[in-house]
This record gives sequence, C-alpha cells and structure tokens, in this order.
Amino acid sequence: MSHKTLRAIMLACALAIAPSCASLPRLENPIAIAQSVDARAYALMGTYAALIEEAADLVRAADTPPALKRALGSAERAATPAVEALGIAVIAYARARRDLDAAPAGDSASLAASFAIAARHLSDAILAAEQPIQALAALVRTDRS
Amino acid sequence: MHNLILQTQFLLAALSALLPLLPAEARERAGQILAAAGGVLSLGAGVSAQWGDLADKLAAIRTDVEAMARAGRAVTPEELDAALTRVRTASAAFRAALETAEATP
Repeated sequence: MSHKTLRAIMLACALAIAPSCASLPRLENPIAIAQSVDARAYALMGTYAALIEEAADLVRAADTPPALKRALGSAERAATPAVEALGIAVIAYARARRDLDAAPAGDSASLAASFAIAARHLSDAILAAEQPIQALAALVRTDRS
Repeated sequence: MHNLILQTQFLLAALSALLPLLPAEARERAGQILAAAGGVLSLGAGVSAQWGDLADKLAAIRTDVEAMARAGRAVTPEELDAALTRVRTASAAFRAALETAEATP
C-alpha cells in the first residue's frame, strides 16, 4: 500500500469518525437519579423503551451486521417480559399506595399489608429487569462505539 | 454540528468541480478519494444523528424524574400506564422490524 493510499484511508476514517465523536452527547442515566422505588421503575421503563426504539433503528439499517441484529433480538426477547412484569408490579404498587393514602386511619391495616406486599414485588421486579436492560444497552452502545 | 458536516460536504463537492484542473493521471485517484470522503462523512453524520436521538430521549426521562423529585411527588398510575404502553409499542415495532430484516436476503 502506497503512502498516498494510506493517507487517503486515514482521511476517510477521520472524516467518518470526527463528526460522530465531536457531536456525541454524553448519555444521561435517568435511573441513577431516581430517589424512590417507583421513580426508579419509571426511569427503567423509559430507558428501556428508548433503547428498544434505538435497537429497532439498528435492525432496520442495512449496514448493521446480521449477528448484531440476532443478538439484539435475543436481548429484546429476554428483557421485554421482565420489563412488562416490572410495569405491572409498579402500577400495582402505585395503586396500593393511593388506596392506603386515601383510607381512614382506622381502616388501613389490611391496606398497609397489601402495600408492603406490592413494595416487595416491585423490588423483586426491579432486580429482575435491571440485568436484561443492561445487556441490551451494552449491545446498542457497542454498535455506537 | 450538522451544519458543519453539510459545509464539509459542500467543500468536497466544490473540490470535485476542480478535478478537471488536475493532471489526468491524478484526476481519477483524487475523484475516488473525494467520493470516498463524502461517503464516510455521510455515514458519520448518520451515526451522530441517531446517537443524539437516544441521548435526547434519555435526557427527557431524566428531566421527568428530576421534576418528580423536586415536587416531592410519586409517579402516578397513569404515568406508569403510559410508560408501559410505550414499552409494549416499542417492543412490537422492534419485533416487526426484526422480522422484516430476517426475511430480507
């Protein structure tokens, strides 16, 4: 390979990489700033939806390697059921809390027990959803790095 | 940034117009280099735009979560319903896109 050809390739690489690198915004992490268990679940669901929307764009792109498309498909199949379970758990938690808040003081014992169960289910659902969401995020970021 | 990319693409196009001034032996190679540079510049711009889209979405979620914390309020069941609906819609769109991609040779 001649010196001029090498320079041309380097120029091409620089032109391809420079605009991406220069304008890559730092990705926010909404999950890290959530201060309550329901806000954490909300941030997880929103982050997952954004990642899946990004993954769909990757799958539609003709230049995405087939192996990456298959890996994204596997990651989505693993993560979506966990995120749906998280959504159901956090909605049940929010309703149980609203019922408890609205109950008269003397009638709240059974509602408090229901709320405690909902809170435990929500904690379990968050733990179950975090790993598959991180796996999908790693794949999406891999393609962008 | 997209303006800068656009301006660089215009510059490449302008340089292409000067190709006839080059000696014949260098003209073809210079044309190939400019064409390749234009192509990879477009690719870089595409990657940049998609990444920015994801960053915007995550920033919007962060803004929501921060606003909830500042107001000291819990997430409502309606907000959670909407978030779950978005997950289901995005998942369905992803699966449809994957099916189409797998069916395409």
